[in-house]
Amino acid sequence: MHVLSQTGEAVAAPEERVTTGETTKLGRAIVVTSGKGGVGKTTTTANLGTALAQRGARVALIDADVGLRNLDIVLGLENRVQHHLLDVLEETATIDDALVPDKHSEGLFLLAAAQAREKDEVDTEKMRALVASLRERFDYVIIDSPAGIEKGFKNAVAGAQEAIVVCTPEVSSVRDVDRVVGLLGNRFRPQLVINRVRPQLVKKGTMLSVEDVDAFLRLPLLGVIADEPQIIVTTNRGEPLALQRDGKTAAAYHAIAARVAGEDVPPPQVELPKPTLFQRLFRGGRA
Amino acid sequence: MNLGATLAKTGSRVVLVDADIGLRNLDLVLGLEKRIVFDLVEVVEERCQLRQALIRDKRFESLFLLPASQTRDKDAVSEEQFAAVVDQAAETADYVLVDSPAGIEAGFRNAVAGANEAIVVTTPEVSAIRDADRVIGKLSDRGLPVRLIVNRLRPEMVHSGDMLSVDDVCEVLGVELLGIVPDDEEIIDTTNRGEPLALDDSKRLTAIYQKIVRRLEGELVPFTTFDNGYRQGLFGRLFAGLRAG
Ligand SMILES: Nc1ncnc2c1ncn2[C@@H]1O[C@H](COP(=O)(O)OP(=O)(O)OP(=O)(O)O)[C@@H](O)[C@H]1O
Ligand SMILES: Nc1ncnc2c1ncn2[C@@H]1O[C@H](COP(=O)(O)OP(=O)(O)OP(=O)(O)O)[C@@H](O)[C@H]1O
Ligand SMILES: [Mg+2]
Ligand SMILES: [Mg+2]
Repeated sequence: MHVLSQTGEAVAAPEERVTTGETTKLGRAIVVTSGKGGVGKTTTTANLGTALAQRGARVALIDADVGLRNLDIVLGLENRVQHHLLDVLEETATIDDALVPDKHSEGLFLLAAAQAREKDEVDTEKMRALVASLRERFDYVIIDSPAGIEKGFKNAVAGAQEAIVVCTPEVSSVRDVDRVVGLLGNRFRPQLVINRVRPQLVKKGTMLSVEDVDAFLRLPLLGVIADEPQIIVTTNRGEPLALQRDGKTAAAYHAIAARVAGEDVPPPQVELPKPTLFQRLFRGGRA
Repeated sequence: MNLGATLAKTGSRVVLVDADIGLRNLDLVLGLEKRIVFDLVEVVEERCQLRQALIRDKRFESLFLLPASQTRDKDAVSEEQFAAVVDQAAETADYVLVDSPAGIEAGFRNAVAGANEAIVVTTPEVSAIRDADRVIGKLSDRGLPVRLIVNRLRPEMVHSGDMLSVDDVCEVLGVELLGIVPDDEEIIDTTNRGEPLALDDSKRLTAIYQKIVRRLEGELVPFTTFDNGYRQGLFGRLFAGLRAG
């Protein structure tokens, strides 16, 4: 139905798999995590999912933040959620009953988290099996991890083969990502999204630059997203920014999606002021 | 961090407890990361005394930090053990401020275990408010009195109808308001440098934290009204008064 223009071999022709039910090639399961709270995991998940779906991929988003679900709100789907992740894991609903089709993007689906339940109630092995079964039907399964490194994080990571780590250009966030990457190990080939960058502050020397963060974490850089008031507006409205076709930040999300899909997109454009806070990060950051 | 430093500056003895075991941050934003010798888990495991683990912030004299361990799990400490440490710290302090990790898992349960009051911090965003609502429910179940700080308010966005107002937030959450902190780059700068705002009276936000501290000490401090206009709220209602401070 659609033409995938990317050159990366990571993406299979999705229709084949979906219509025949054959597991010719499994989709990719990617966990979005950060350690630190509030840095933009859910925003990144929603926008990446939207951007990938806009490219024609079939995408399932899983909200693994059981007890504090947010992804449904960001996607504007909160009124359509009938069943949630735990219903599926406990087999009181089927995956098909629980997957909510997105309002805006064809091919995008949400498996919402339960608001009134606890993360301890999630069976990690069942979570792994669920992600595996979704990989048979979707090109991408993107799992929105809760903050922290507790049970909720471990559940979110179970079943994923890749990780996107989100950090803000702040020493505490960078340190948390460093810790999370240590916990993830090599298996997940973590890639970095730096979120909420404010170029004026970087120039003033009050915010870490992309180079500072990069030099400390040494992770493949997937994208850089500016601090953008429109994100707050679109989040409150339940319409991810990546739905927009123009604007720098929307373009940055589409570039991230292209890079995830294996396209050889030029690296994110960032300015290069002198790294003043860099020293502190190195001295105090790695404990 | 800023509440603790502001309280200490007015003479109170304050112990800050970093309950974010595994992802400690409080030492870093206070600029005390290089002075850590022992941590909370070691106190619990009786490998050191509480007073050995407390780091005195030399800039404030009466401000102390009990750092979290970075290499351990939140499960390393039980609720009872955590409460015992907080109780012990409270014996010698006017205030023990426990910095809870995000979420509502074991780390959260530990953090609230020894507390008898709670401050819930939210941003004026739909998703954050829903999380705060769930947390407030849990705190109320435990019988803890809850007060609210609305953080990262952007008055111009409230004015243009793109952000919930403080009134909107309070109406949804139905708890007493303790303070309003605007979104301000001063926070990013000072946390990156490890310098609490209380060190510098010329900063815009210093006075804001001073007001919060006065309210915490029982004083009735009015919220500054800096806009009496009206706007079409995100809930589609007319609204008057936008407050900060
Ligand atoms: N690039 C950005 N510019 C401006 N605001 C942003 C940006 N990214 C995220 N935000 C805002 O920050 C808030 C936190 O983002 P989000 O909910 O995505 O974080 P999270 O990491 O999922 O949080 P949690 O740890 O609670 O799950 C959101 O309400 C969003 O509006
Ligand atoms: N009023 C503010 N204005 C601007 N930036 C702010 C403000 N408050 C917090 N921030 C920024 O948001 C980031 C997150 O803040 P902070 O670390 O205090 O959150 P937290 O709730 O403790 O996060 P976690 O859940 O990971 O423990 C900080 O690095 C800080 O720079
Ligand atoms: Mg989230
Ligand atoms: Mg914190």
